[in-house]
Amino acid sequence: MKPREFLAHSGRQFGTLVGLFALCAVLWALTPHFLTVSNLLNVAQQTSINAVIAVGLTFVIISGGIDLSVGSLVAFSGVVTASLLQRTVPVPLALLAGLMTGLACGLVNGLLITFGRLPPFIATLGIMSVARGGSLLYTNGRPVSGFGEDFRWIATGEILRVPVPVVIMIVVYAIAHFVLRRTPFGRYLFAMGGNEEAALLSGVRVRLHKTLVYGVCGLLSALAAVMLTARLNSAQPIAGINYELDAIAATVIGGASLLGGQGSVVGTLIGALIMGVLRNGLNLLGVSSFIQQVVIGAVIILAVLLDTAFKRPKR
Amino acid sequence: MKTHRFFTLSLIAGGLALLAGCNRTEPTSAAATAGAPGGKPTIALVVKTLNNPFFIDMQKGAEEAAKRLGVNLVVQAADREIDVERQMQIIENLIERKVAALCITPSGSREIVPVIVKANKAGIPVVIVDTRADEKALAAAGGKIATFIGSDNYDGGKLAGEFIGAALGGKGAIAVLEGIPGHETGDSRLRGFREAVAKYPGLKIVASQPANWERDQGFNVFQNILQAHPQVSGVFACSDLMALGAVEAIAAAGKTGKIVVVGFDAQPEARAAITKGTMGATVAQFAARMGSTAVENAVKLLAGEKIAEFTPVPIELIK
Amino acid sequence: MNPALTVPALALRGIRKEFPGVVALDGVDLDLWAGEVHVLLGENGAGKSTLMKIISGAVARDAGEVLLDGVPIEIRGPRHAQALGLGIIYQEFNLIPHLTAGENIFLGREPRLLAGVIDQRALVRAAQKILDELGVAIDARSVVSRLSVAQQQMVEVAKALSLNARVLMMDEPTSALTEQEIRELFATIARLKARGVALVYISHRMEELFVIGDRVTVLRDGRHVGTRPIGETTMPELVRLMVGRDLKDQFPKQTAPVGDEALRVEGLRRHGVLHDINFTLRRGEVVGLAGLMGSGRTELARAVFGADPVDGGRIFVGGHERQIGSPRAAIDLGLGFLTEDRKHQGLVLGLSVQENTCLPSVGAFSRFGVMQVAQESAATAARIAELRIKTPGPHQRVGTLSGGNQQKVVLGKWLTTEADVFIFDEPTRGIDVGAKVEIYQLINQLAARGAAVLMISSELPEILGMSDRILVMHAGRIAGEFTAAEATQEKLLAAALGRAGRHAA
Repeated sequence: MKPREFLAHSGRQFGTLVGLFALCAVLWALTPHFLTVSNLLNVAQQTSINAVIAVGLTFVIISGGIDLSVGSLVAFSGVVTASLLQRTVPVPLALLAGLMTGLACGLVNGLLITFGRLPPFIATLGIMSVARGGSLLYTNGRPVSGFGEDFRWIATGEILRVPVPVVIMIVVYAIAHFVLRRTPFGRYLFAMGGNEEAALLSGVRVRLHKTLVYGVCGLLSALAAVMLTARLNSAQPIAGINYELDAIAATVIGGASLLGGQGSVVGTLIGALIMGVLRNGLNLLGVSSFIQQVVIGAVIILAVLLDTAFKRPKR
Repeated sequence: MKTHRFFTLSLIAGGLALLAGCNRTEPTSAAATAGAPGGKPTIALVVKTLNNPFFIDMQKGAEEAAKRLGVNLVVQAADREIDVERQMQIIENLIERKVAALCITPSGSREIVPVIVKANKAGIPVVIVDTRADEKALAAAGGKIATFIGSDNYDGGKLAGEFIGAALGGKGAIAVLEGIPGHETGDSRLRGFREAVAKYPGLKIVASQPANWERDQGFNVFQNILQAHPQVSGVFACSDLMALGAVEAIAAAGKTGKIVVVGFDAQPEARAAITKGTMGATVAQFAARMGSTAVENAVKLLAGEKIAEFTPVPIELIK
Repeated sequence: MNPALTVPALALRGIRKEFPGVVALDGVDLDLWAGEVHVLLGENGAGKSTLMKIISGAVARDAGEVLLDGVPIEIRGPRHAQALGLGIIYQEFNLIPHLTAGENIFLGREPRLLAGVIDQRALVRAAQKILDELGVAIDARSVVSRLSVAQQQMVEVAKALSLNARVLMMDEPTSALTEQEIRELFATIARLKARGVALVYISHRMEELFVIGDRVTVLRDGRHVGTRPIGETTMPELVRLMVGRDLKDQFPKQTAPVGDEALRVEGLRRHGVLHDINFTLRRGEVVGLAGLMGSGRTELARAVFGADPVDGGRIFVGGHERQIGSPRAAIDLGLGFLTEDRKHQGLVLGLSVQENTCLPSVGAFSRFGVMQVAQESAATAARIAELRIKTPGPHQRVGTLSGGNQQKVVLGKWLTTEADVFIFDEPTRGIDVGAKVEIYQLINQLAARGAAVLMISSELPEILGMSDRILVMHAGRIAGEFTAAEATQEKLLAAALGRAGRHAA
């Protein structure tokens, strides 16, 4: 690709990346604790769960949909995995079951939207409540905790001195980027989000791919659930409340359009990191949690305001 | 090219810096490092949330002690009482900041364990306040805490149960509003309460449901209980917030004064309700004292003094 | 002295507008006199829309002067333009479907009672007055979504007039109207002329210009190439001005040898839409499909292509009976469908030329689920070259191309899937004269290669000029079939109205 085209494609991400660096520079100036290897690894770990959920949501949003159920699916897949682990099911099997739970719930979302013809907002709102209630029922409202070291490795382990959650995040992003840019599925997501009718008439199996994208989103929520469960050494039926909002925020800061047809996983990763760095930095500086909420809200609004301001045709 | 984002984000970052400047709880960030020459050590208090008066009282007590003893104090919390992951992040960040000691009120008794282990590894002493960390899980993970400061919730629950038993003359239908299931605090209170009630054969717990420590939940859940069990003549809520929610539900049903409400925590609003007669009693848990005791113990630890494994904070029924 | 007689109502002098990389307008002059219908002609991309947008305040000019009654003015934005009496009616209306005609006319300027409550009665009265003056039979209380396209257009006109528009610009106002509705529109335009409104009229239908226009200005490549009183010019002259050369033939029909059966439809039906449809397409053949709007032409195309379900009937492709349950199945059998509405059905405007061109083929262009970028690039480069698509490159967003080039990209999609049965639905709608001829030539080439073409069109001259055989639909049935030799405009129209033809309804 020529440099000019590259910029046209990646300018948005580049801008977000510059923002992330600017933020880091400011924090570096303000506190000596920010720019240390261990803190940066902390930020990466703290970001990893939201980032993994946000990839799935980015896919869904690019395809022109929305998924509100991700937070509840985190709880549901988490308690399923945890309860299997407690019954001494081998770790790989328990993981697989947890991931399949998320995938299945996601596919249900997809089927409700494609074959049930429900608006994505409604379908996933319903599943959000069903999955939350399901996890509470399943556990009687109590956390399920206490797992073996081999499972906990997912949160505590290191590969080449990089914490496992960070490795998972990087791998997920690499795969997602490839899928989005280099596979027909990825291309179809953009086409469906940009113009569903045109995509259908161009032979895109819209129902199939739409169902799949919600399945993928559910699967990634389940992966996040596994990471969260290992991290806390406990799966809570009330885990993941409001996670969908964090993931949507990361996606939107990363440049995706809620109207569909636009977005990138690289942008979303940067968006998730901006949120993670902000929270970490504000903690290091001892800023109250109330102000943190204000700041994060302001960043979301500003990012999107700027986007629309600069996309508007010049007069 | 979209360099515009650079400018704005720097702007945001700049604004943030300003903001941070005005809100920092210690004079300079460099001084935060424990043992920095000439600097005062920084002690962190991480509570469940700062929108619950109980923890605000705890914060006040801690601040008073910190001032008296000449240490810096950082108080932080998640936005939601139940957000265990967020609390974990906050503590990780404080460990990174190398605070001298951590005082924690765990949002989840078991979920707190991994981060205690992290603090242990970083050589930062951990003081647990109010809610116990799960001892078995802690032992299994090889973590250790310096001390636990708190009231005996079991005893508190018992006091509440005895009060209700006496107030109802030993018979009647009662309801219970639980906290989030699986919390040591709520579970102990419940256990104590149930044990006390069991001594009155005429008392029957007809409903026991979680209201997640929240006031609006307390209102809704109790309203629903009243629908199902109109004969209920007493209610025990594991926290005042939930009890106050129940008081509102009772008023909405026009039954004020006909149902004995017992709460926990002795928050000012609950005390006022008792004076007014809309609540029967509450169990005083001296939050401010927990906060100050926590800081005092942390300072002792830093000075190398020995401290007890458990420092009870007295408990008292207010009626 | 009445200024209206000595200076133009609106005059543009040396208007210039540049967009990144393109000079859209370069020193354009235009005089609009009160009471004239001024036709603006030009190929797509010639600068007509930009000029309109400058007058309507949607775009700011880079250089030049705008004079209103001889006084230089600045147009600060769309609302300011409205306040100055400069109105515009776009092809896509700016009406709110669920509000009434009257509410739309006074949207944002509703007459108020005390305390800001809308005075509904005054609103209806005032709106009805404007509609009556226009001479149109529309109840101000009727909900816009229930009105016909022509009536909605009249609501737009009424809205402009309620703002005291002195200059009214209409972009392709007849593109979605029936003959009868066009006559009514022309009557309304005559009444507006009589009231002294200066009208700017943009249309690709050249025949109309001679009926309705007073003067005509031609733009080409952002420049003003001539203004003529309509009585002193001819269609060939205007075409020459627009394209910059002589177009020998408006319909360059070439006949290809007719081969085997490519597509056969038997007894196709869909409840309430299609009734017992039978026809055959052969290789090398261009079959025209005529009919009034709503006669089921597009519905037939969608049914054959698997986009809509059917209730019965058989479809044979290349002599074999096939089940076509989805567009994917149709594409895999070698069908290609060029929809009438490019922007909403044909293209994903946010994606690039390459991504659109290869959209139906990405599956075929993938190995082990991975897209082969080299194959895609090669196919796209080939399409850009053979269809002469004017684009800065394969990664250009398709939404930025002109209508003719967008249509070529749609065609490029089906050349890339190597389709051999093409269904064109209104292939030249909204496309300028020069590009139309190019599309016709491409249809000829397809037929010459042995493809079968079904061409749906509302323009009878196009049907007559390009088809080997003509089918006419009426009320969901094939109401007539003619050879090119025997067909005349009258016969086709009669069949379309259900009055004649071989299989009369």
